[in-house]
This record gives sequence, structure tokens and C-alpha cells, in this order.
Amino acid sequence: MTRTTDNQADVPAPTAPHKDMKWIGRSVKRVEDPKLLRGLGRYIDDVVLPGMLHAVVLRSPHAHARIVSVDAERARRAPGVVAVLTGPEAAEQFGPLPDSGPAPDKHVWRVLAADKVHYVGEGVAVVVAENRYQAEDARALIDVTYDVLDPIVDPIAAAEDTGNLVHEALGTNVAYERTFTFGEVARDFADADLVVRDRLRWGRQTAHPLDTTAAIGDYDAGTGEMVVHTNSISMTWLAFGAAVALGIPSNKLDLRPYISGGSFGSKQFCWRSTVTAAMMSKITGRPVKYVEDRLDYQLNGDQHGSDRYYDVELALMRDGTFRSLKIDCVDDYGAYIQFGVGSHGNALAQVTGPYRITSTEYRVRAVLTNKTQQGAYRGFGADAGNWALERIVDKAAAELDLDPADIRRRNLIPPDAFPYHIPSGNMYDSGNYEPVLDHALQRFDYDGWRRKQEAMRAEGRKIGIGVVTANERSVYGATEFWFWFDDKDVPVKTTSTPEGVSMTVDTVGAVTVTLYSTPFWGNSSDTVAAMIAAEEFDVDPADVSVVHHGTKGGLPAAGPGGSRLTVMLAGAITGASKKIKDKLRRIAAHDMEVDEADLEWVDGGYQVRGATDSRRGIADLAMLAYLVKTALPDGEESGLAADFVYDHPHLTMPKPDRSDLGSFYPCVGHACHLVAVEVDEETGSVDILDYVAVHDSGTLVNPRSYDGQIVGGTAQGIGTALAEEMTYDAGGNPLVGTFWDYLIPTALDVPEVNFGHEETPSPITAHGIKGGGEAGRLMAPGALSAAIDDALRDHGVRVTELPATPERIVGWLQGQGG
Amino acid sequence: MKPPPFSYHRGRTVEHAAELLRELGPSARLLAGGQSLLPMLNLRLAEPAHLVDLGSAPGLDAIRRDGDLLVVGATARQAAVENSADVRSLVPLLAEAVEHVAHPPIRHRGTVVGSIAHASAVAELPCAALALDAQLTLLSADGVRTVGAEDFFTGAFTTSARADEIVAQVAFPVTGPGTGQAWSEFSLRRGNFPVAGAGVSITVADGEIVDVAIAICGVSDRPVRARAAEAALLGSRPDPETVAAAAAASVAELTPRGAGDLAAHILPVVAAPVPAWGYRASVAKSQVRRAVTTALTRAGGVR
Ligand SMILES: Cc1cc2nc3c(=O)[nH]c(=O)nc-3n(C[C@H](O)[C@H](O)[C@H](O)COP(=O)(O)OP(=O)(O)OC[C@H]3O[C@@H](n4cnc5c(N)ncnc54)[C@H](O)[C@@H]3O)c2cc1C
Repeated sequence: MTRTTDNQADVPAPTAPHKDMKWIGRSVKRVEDPKLLRGLGRYIDDVVLPGMLHAVVLRSPHAHARIVSVDAERARRAPGVVAVLTGPEAAEQFGPLPDSGPAPDKHVWRVLAADKVHYVGEGVAVVVAENRYQAEDARALIDVTYDVLDPIVDPIAAAEDTGNLVHEALGTNVAYERTFTFGEVARDFADADLVVRDRLRWGRQTAHPLDTTAAIGDYDAGTGEMVVHTNSISMTWLAFGAAVALGIPSNKLDLRPYISGGSFGSKQFCWRSTVTAAMMSKITGRPVKYVEDRLDYQLNGDQHGSDRYYDVELALMRDGTFRSLKIDCVDDYGAYIQFGVGSHGNALAQVTGPYRITSTEYRVRAVLTNKTQQGAYRGFGADAGNWALERIVDKAAAELDLDPADIRRRNLIPPDAFPYHIPSGNMYDSGNYEPVLDHALQRFDYDGWRRKQEAMRAEGRKIGIGVVTANERSVYGATEFWFWFDDKDVPVKTTSTPEGVSMTVDTVGAVTVTLYSTPFWGNSSDTVAAMIAAEEFDVDPADVSVVHHGTKGGLPAAGPGGSRLTVMLAGAITGASKKIKDKLRRIAAHDMEVDEADLEWVDGGYQVRGATDSRRGIADLAMLAYLVKTALPDGEESGLAADFVYDHPHLTMPKPDRSDLGSFYPCVGHACHLVAVEVDEETGSVDILDYVAVHDSGTLVNPRSYDGQIVGGTAQGIGTALAEEMTYDAGGNPLVGTFWDYLIPTALDVPEVNFGHEETPSPITAHGIKGGGEAGRLMAPGALSAAIDDALRDHGVRVTELPATPERIVGWLQGQGG
Repeated sequence: MKPPPFSYHRGRTVEHAAELLRELGPSARLLAGGQSLLPMLNLRLAEPAHLVDLGSAPGLDAIRRDGDLLVVGATARQAAVENSADVRSLVPLLAEAVEHVAHPPIRHRGTVVGSIAHASAVAELPCAALALDAQLTLLSADGVRTVGAEDFFTGAFTTSARADEIVAQVAFPVTGPGTGQAWSEFSLRRGNFPVAGAGVSITVADGEIVDVAIAICGVSDRPVRARAAEAALLGSRPDPETVAAAAAASVAELTPRGAGDLAAHILPVVAAPVPAWGYRASVAKSQVRRAVTTALTRAGGVR
């Protein structure tokens, strides 16, 4: 299935949605819900193993300090304590954590700090005791002597600093810097009628699932087997990374997956909890549970989102058509850079959004500071990228006095231009953007709202309307983690990011699907698997059994991330189903003594074309396959089982000089969000009066759960736009730790979202499905920013910094920037 | 986030609880609804060796009228006060303020008196108590004394009650004819502590303000009375300009505070990204204006 070629001619033309399906496209209740709603889900913290111990981590109180000594003697003697492992001790016994950043040996990332602490919250020691209370009591008895260093907090200053470094071995605080030029940027800027410039700031945020990241290590000293029960990493393809850190043969490590109360990217990998629990189990010989508390999660969870400073320039013509885009971004990665600058790969995958823009320059500087490192948060850098693009588009509209919906319409990529290659090289597989905009405008009653707005403004009310048209790339190819480096000695290859499944149809025809990556993270993997299998075998999704296999002995699987899982599972299950159905066809043909070509699959069985009385149902055929070897064709094995590994549907090679990054994120959806707000001038609060979201993510699988993605993503986007911020003071001290001050919107703060759907199938995936996992969060920040601008246009306020907190808005109104 | 070790004691009566506090000394803490104390224990911001639970002491949860006073006992839950028809009709400011405290599950455990005794500078109920000139009954092994709200709050999380004294009840004057009351606040998220809030009680006779009390939270180390604003309103025949001027005066009389101070007022220990003083003050001003306007309407005195 994988196409790893430079030849893009093999992308089929977009097709019309197929409406002849039984399950795909029907809203069904999630198969996960009955157990979750009855409290029978078994989350990781529900798991209790005999003799299990509890681990807690001592976190650094300093942003930047040398560890002079760690004295754990008092803690070791405390009641209930079984073991204490200090950072220096851990560095002797265990390897670094897997790090795909540039030059990982120069910013070595460990489960516990060994010689220096690099941010407030970094682990310095682990205490393991009979219960968590005792472990926390003993933690307070560890004496650490620090030699406190000057904190490195401001990334702009840090980029220039060569004296005070987060990692001395790196010789700089800039982990990565490069300017990419795609197309004729200089020419396009010279030809343009005008250039609009903006300076933007995207604040640091964190995804907050209901449960934090957690693991239970269970080491068998007899066999040397390590089982880790975990709600984070459990994707087979990279599990070996944990084995290396633990010093265990990769085939003796089994990461067993558990459902979780959400991830939103934040549980992507999360080596730290797995390695913490596993190493302490190896040391104590007993099962050890490590559950991050909210402070561990927020301060030492390795999953903060992008933290960016943008300079953006858009070159365009008087009639509002765009020419070229320049982006210069400083990204404050914090103390480590585990995913490299992959989040800029995400931004580059749709850097020009849904617009025709012929050239782009992209400069990125990844700066290290004494803060918690970044990880993934729903959007993984494309969230900030979309916002920056929509901000400059709004600024251009204002400068040309064009309606914000109009300027967008003028620049949308037309439907006949797909498959479309954006300047960075990524391919958009299919799209039909204008109907999405029209649908949204109509659903929102845009003209009506504009009239209402005028009337309300006449009463002195500050009413604003915001519109964004934005893309949502899906199905990442891991190439985006490597294409940054074009060292001749390290040839870059495309990386498939495969997903495997196993399927069986048992003796009585019941279907089981085995998955090899993370189960429910809020994203309904089981429902998707059940629906796709149900579509293939004509059974009810509720009757399909879905099993989650551990990593040991598993097929390649990369799990959720980059909105890939639905597409990848659909491909894999379709593939495995075909193998089984082919075998059923051979058995049926043999049994009926007809030619295979004369058979057709109808309603869960094979029949001779048009002859319903000749039908052999799946249960009859399965019975033969399992029990009646003599009824099988010669050489046919008993049973009905198939494995299928679905590779990435479309990857192409980057050019050697990186003037084109190839296609790496090809299944591209589109959305239009419209919002009306009222701003309270005195308090700066923003009230959402109306919210419309129309999305096109290709063929819809389960509209009901997709709507859930849109509401949830929009809620997170509202938090991003208005409230959530992980702030640090000038000393590098986090000012936010708990939900007291990290303000996630609640149900009371999120409006009813009025949805609409359009369906433009992908030509390159099973059933034309595209991913939709970041729906909402990629659009809401831009829409709300625009609406606030519009509400406060008489005051000349523009939102150039997120979150636009009430305090900031009042500051802008009082003329302090904005 | 587990509390440090402590021993648990159950006060059989309020007097017994007071004896326990005396016996156990300053390392003992009274436990009411636990909605402030338990998070502090879990974050290890407080490490009392003993907790004396008042929860099962009989008769303490009463909400009753006593002449010109409405008396709220030490263990009366916030939800009970919120849902009491007496409170709503006799002390509407208390009823309105308590609705703004947290969320229903927390109000079902948290007590009104516990919140007042906890004395947070941003909390609604201490501020309402101050606006209403509530009288607090302090009970210890030595006996009983009564303190007015203004003398009770002495600083951030500190009061004039000794460590071994229990606030056995708080008495609120009931409103008479011509009195309108209102609570107004702005919080960054619904159910959060306010950035600033104002509690107002105004009595109007013949179109003239004959009595007015205004208290503000969120702008100092304790709730404060806005005396200058009260003076600006008293004796006036209010119109929107007078109200706006009074709101401006309410903030002008405050002392600006630095971010570090504000953080310490608001959270017991850890730093918080508190909105800066200037913003708090401007929010306070708007809340005073809104609360005064509403109270006037309710008093039937707005024009
Ligand atoms: C998520 C959340 C949100 C919240 N939001 C708000 C909010 O918006 N506004 C708000 O005002 N509050 C809020 N609170 C706090 C809540 O109102 C508490 O219930 C209240 O502050 C304390 O009352 P309590 O009965 O729970 O007291 P406890 O927590 O039991 O005690 C608090 C302190 O007061 C002392 N104390 C209690 N009762 C007495 C007494 N009778 N005599 C002497 N000392 C006593 C205790 O020793 C302790 O030091 C919130 C709490 C939570 C958990």
C-alpha cells in the first residue's frame, strides 16, 4: 500500500462519497461506553497487583542548579520505605530516555537528573514504599544540596547567550536553527502590491486528561521478563526504546496497554512514567506503581505545548489574492527536545493553510530554556501555525477593507487543483473548500448576524464576529522527524509509521480484532475497529470483540497521534478482512464446486451471483474452516485468521536540498468556524454568543463520536484562546500548578456548538476516510481572536498574544499594546 | 498529594471540641467541611498533628431567626444556606453571595462559618459578612465572646480568633423595609474565587440613601469596607453618575499592592499568577458599580 516514490501521478482523482455502506457513516453508540459509564473501565490506577509498592518522585525546586549531593539515608530508614534511588545512582544503572532531537548525546535526557537540574519539577530521586502516604512522607526527608545557577528563562535572550547554557555540552541554547525557502519567495514579495506584517505570541499550554500518566512495572527476576502496565506508550514500533533505557532485551519487555481518560497528545510516548515504574520494580523485585499526581504531570510530564514567538509576513495583491508567506519562529522548547522540531513539521505540513500561496519561507529557531520540555498537544505545532496564518489573513482583510469571509473565499484552493502540492512539498489529497464556507455562513446566518451586530453595537455593546477557514492535516509520516537533517552521512528515508492488526473469525463465525497500540484515549479505537470489521463481515459492531495486545510479539503499530488511527485501522482491518474473506471464498467455491469468480459476498456470506438459495453464511463456512479439514481445498490451512500491516498511504522523498520536503501528511481535511462574542470592556471577559463549526474530514465513520471530537477540540481551543497558560516568573518558577490557576474551561464556559458536515473522500485511504482528531482546537483560537478584534475595533485592539485573558484584554483597551 | 500523618479526633459537642483544642495545643486544627483544609493538607501547605472534627457535634447546623438576627451555626453547609427560604428573604446578600461559592458538590460539604473562619481575602462569604456587619460568636474552654466582622478579619488567612477558639455561629442582621442588597463578582472561570467582588446593602427612604454598607474582596489582604464610597452615597439621591463616582472612590481609597503580596493574600504559600493590582482594582470598581446599582433597584430607589 505504501507509495514511497517521487512519482505523484499515482494519486487517484477524488471520488464522490459512497453511500452504500451499512455501518460507516452511521452514528452508533460507542462500544467502549457501556463499561466506562458503569465504572468498569479499569483505568491504570484501578490495577492492584499482589505485593505492589508505590513510587513518588522528588522534584527539583530550582530552575537551574548543580546537584552537589543527594543524601537519602533518612528517607531510606523511614517507615514503609523499600527503596530510594537518587539521580546519580540511576544514571549509573539505567540508560538515557529515547530522544529524537538533534544531537541527543549533547542534551542527555534521563529519567532522573544526574548532575544538574534543568527546570523546576525535574526528578531528582524516587522513593518506593508500601503505600503512597509513606512514600510522600519519606520524600520530605531526602536532603539535596544544590549549587543554584542563574536561570535561563527568556528564549530570545537565551538564543544569544553563550555563557549560561542549559546543556553545556551543546555549546549553545539553540538546539536547531534553519531557514527553509520553498519556491520563489523573493520574486513573489517583489511582485506583491503590499506586505502585511505581524508579530505574534502563542503562549505555553498543556493538555489535561482526566487521568495523569501512570505505569506499573512488574519484573520477574527469574525469567528476566519485564511487564509494564501503562496508559501511555504501548505502541510496538518504538517500545524497544524503553527496553534500552531499562537495560532489558527488547523481547523481554511487554508494555500492556490500558484505557485512559484522555491524552490529547500528552500521553504520546511518555517514557518517564514507564521507566520510573519499571526500574523500581527491577530494583525491588516487586510490582511498583507510579501514578503522576497533577503537579508531577504539569511540572515533570514532558508534554507542554508549543511556546512560540512569531514574525509573519504575507505578500498579497490589492485584489486580496495572496502570493507568498514568510514565517520566522522562535520556539521555547524548555529543557529538552524529545521530539526534535517535529511540531514544526506539523506546521509545515499545512503552512499555507487552505490558500493558494505559491512560495514560503520558514525560519525556525528551537531554543532550550529552564522550563519543562514540550511534548505533544492536540495540533502539535499546527495549532499555533493555523492561528498565526489566520491572524495575518485577518490583518490583510482589515488593511484592504475586505470582509474576512470574502478574502478567504478569494484565496481558497479550487476543487479541481487536487491533489494539490503546497510550497513545502506536502500533498493535500482532496478538498472542496468553498461549500464548507458556504455551509458555515448559512448555518451561522452570517448576514443576519452582521445586521444584529450593528444593532447591538448601536446600544453600546461590544459585539464581534470571527471567521476562520483552516485545514487539518492527518495521518503523519514520521519522515517529519528526520527531514530536518540533511547530513550526507545520514540518508533520509521516508518512514512509514505502520499499523498492524490481527483478525480471527471463530468456529461459529464471531469476529475478533486484535490491536497492537493504545486503546481508548478518548478517541474510540474500539468503536472504529468494530465498525470497520462490521462493515466487512455484515455483523453488528457491538458483536465484534476488540482485543488489545501488549507490545511483546506484536505487529508494528504506532497508535494514535497525528489524527492517524481511524485511517490506519480502517486500512489494516480492511486488509486483514480481505485475506479472511478470500479464504472464505476459496472454501465456499470448493464446497459448492463452483468457480471462485462466480461467487459474490452478500449479507455475511457467499452465494453464486444472483442465486440467493446457494448462500453459504459465514458461520457455515467457519465451521468447515475449523472442523472439517476434508472440506477445504488442497493445501488450505484450518482456521480463519489473518494479520495485516497497513503502511502509510502516501509518502514521497524530500529533495536533497530541502527545497521540497516531500509528501508526509497527505490526508487533509478542512473546516470553517464562525463565532459571535461579546466583550465586557470593564472586566475584559469574553462571552460566546453563537458558535458554528462545519468540518470536512473525508468520509465520516461515526458522526456521533466525530461531533464529540469537534466539541472537545473546540472547548480546548476556547481554553487556548481565552484562559489556559503555563506561566513562569523571571526566575523560572512555574506560577501554575493545579487547576486553581490553570484554567481549563468547564461545561459552563463552553457554548453549544452548532455542527455541520461536508464529505470529500480521500482518494488514498480505505473508504475515503481522513483523520479528524484535532478538530476544533485548530480553528477556535483563530476564530475567537478575530471576533475579539472585531468587537473592539473602535479601540484599535488586535489580539496578537494568546491566551487573550480578561486581564490582557483590559490592558489592550487601556492602550498597552495588543 | 497525600496529607502528612495526623491524628483524628471527633468533637462530641462544640464544648468537647473546644476542650480538645485546648488539650492538644496549637498543633491541632478544627475540621469543618474540609473544602479548604483538606486540599491544604494534600498539598502539604498545612501539617497539623491533630484534626478535631466538628461535623458530628449536634445542633450546630441550625439556620434560624433570633429576633433581628439570622443565626447560622458552625456546621451549616453552604448548600443549606443557599437553599434556605429564610436566608433568601431575611439576608438576601448572604444568599446571593453563597451561590457564587465554588460548585454544588463543594457547597454540599463546605460550611458558611468555615469559609468565614478561613478568612480568605478573595472569598465571597467573609466579604458578605463584613458588608452585613455580622456578629461572630467565639467559643473556647474559657467561655464565649462576640466579635464583629470588622474586628474579626486581621490579615491574610488570619483572624482575631485564637487557635483554640471555635466560631460557634455567625449572626447576620435581617433586612428591613427599603433595604436592597446585592452581590456582584467577576471570576476568571465560573465557580472560581473571584478576581474581585462586592457586597452591598443599601436602605432607601423617600428616595434618599439612609444607610449603606459596601465591602470588597480581592483587593487587599482581607475583605475591606469601602468607606469613601459609602460616604459618597449616604444621604444622596442616587443617579448613575453618583454611583459611578462612588465606585471610583471605592478603589481610590485602597493601597496598591505588588504581585508577591497579592499572591500571598490569595494562596497560603505557593505563588499564583494573580491578576495584577491595577486589573483587580478596575474589576473591583466595576463590581461595586454593578452591585450598588442592583441593590438600589431592589431597594426601589433607582431612577
Ligand atoms: C474546588 C474548590 C473551589 C472553591 N471555590 C470557592 C469559591 O469560589 N469561593 C469561596 O469562598 N470558597 C471556595 N472554596 C472553598 C470552600 O468554600 C470552603 O468550603 C471554605 O473556604 C471552607 O469551609 P469548610 O467548611 O470547608 O472549612 P474547612 O476546610 O474544614 O476549614 C477551613 C479552615 O477554617 C477553620 N475552621 C473551619 N470552621 C471553623 C470554625 N467553626 N471555627 C474556627 N475555625 C474554623 C479550619 O480549622 C481551617 O483552618 C472552594 C473549594 C474548592 C475545593
